[in-house]
Amino acid sequence: MLVRFWGTRGSLPVAPTADTIRQKIVHALLVANGTSFADAAEAEAFIDNELGFAAGATYGGATPCVELEAGSGSYFICDMGSGLRSFGLSSMKRNAEGHRKTYNFFLSHLHWDHIMGFPFFAPAFDPMATIRVHAAHPDAEDALRRQQEEISFPVPFDWLRADIQFVQLTPGEAYEIDGVQVETARQQHSHVSYGYRFTDRDGRTVIYSTDSEHKPDNMEDEAAFITFFREADLVICDTMYSLAESVTMKEDWGHSSNLVAIDLCHEAQAKCLALFHHEPTYADEDIQRMHEESIRYEELTRNGPPLEVICAYDGLEVRL
Amino acid sequence: MEYSLERRDDAIIVQVGGRVDESSWEAFGAALEEAIDQARQGGVRDLVIDLGHLDYMSSRGLRALTVAKRQADEGEIVIRLASPNEVMREILAISRYDKLFMITETIELKR
Repeated sequence: MLVRFWGTRGSLPVAPTADTIRQKIVHALLVANGTSFADAAEAEAFIDNELGFAAGATYGGATPCVELEAGSGSYFICDMGSGLRSFGLSSMKRNAEGHRKTYNFFLSHLHWDHIMGFPFFAPAFDPMATIRVHAAHPDAEDALRRQQEEISFPVPFDWLRADIQFVQLTPGEAYEIDGVQVETARQQHSHVSYGYRFTDRDGRTVIYSTDSEHKPDNMEDEAAFITFFREADLVICDTMYSLAESVTMKEDWGHSSNLVAIDLCHEAQAKCLALFHHEPTYADEDIQRMHEESIRYEELTRNGPPLEVICAYDGLEVRL
Repeated sequence: MEYSLERRDDAIIVQVGGRVDESSWEAFGAALEEAIDQARQGGVRDLVIDLGHLDYMSSRGLRALTVAKRQADEGEIVIRLASPNEVMREILAISRYDKLFMITETIELKR
């Protein structure tokens, strides 16, 4: 299975400013200190070896959209954040090469940052495309239609030409969808959110658990998450806030922290955790620091096999 | 995890040893609740958690501390963390809990 991240930022899309890019270039030039490079490959090696990720790249700023290439012939996409636009264009290139035009969406919830990409999803205008929107929310269709009402958007939902179907899922039930086993579980968030567990024919398992708050008063409920995450190859988790923030000023905001995600993954014996749904006010350096601290916390509290901790960014591909 | 409670003139000391993790956070939380009760009944405002023998605390333990702090705040009892080892210092920094709790080198509070 291949997991491709098209949007990894929470709440609001963000983009680096001219000054942000300029400062990265200044820093890189200072580190290079007059080094000359024979070609692009040498320059890229310098970036990989001498600059940290924040200095040499960016975590990106599109809101959540994660694609799973599960070998089933159809597309599997978690959420429709602003990253969906880029995915849509990429899929059209693949469709031109013969890819099946069937899109299976799985919505964690209906908040703006997780559905805002759909009005810009080009395949929705293709009458030959089939779009199945899977959601445990009964009002998923209402949410998508509402954001395309004229007061908000110039193109009405009814102008979309694809065959769009809404499929309601029930937490706790197992589904087989185009060769992939899918389960969903209820999470704590405003208007409720749902996590997903995907298992392909080779037994590779990915968990998508975003916008899920784990409150100090409800720690006994975490046993259900440990079962849901059990032995997953990759767990994608909302790690928006520090633990202290999540229990104080950001309590009841519906998000979680890196430490809780690591602890849940340790207990579930998951293999890899992807930090996700990054705080929009965080600069790349802040996210990198959070990633480094997460790796260190995992080392300090490890009581079994190591958990690989990666940090999702727009464009990241993880092959399981 | 092991713990003990000690009443001193001006403080309740909770000494915690071992690890506070998924298997012991509930017992840790119960110990903190007991300590807060003792502090309330004794009119004591200072509750010290002696981490000197604690290997580490996961987010479960840290969040149990948060629950205890809320209970303590209602009784105007101040919880502070004393004598953390290097691992706990890192965990407190990574979690930013060093911004939520007073941390002292020893269980005595220099006034």
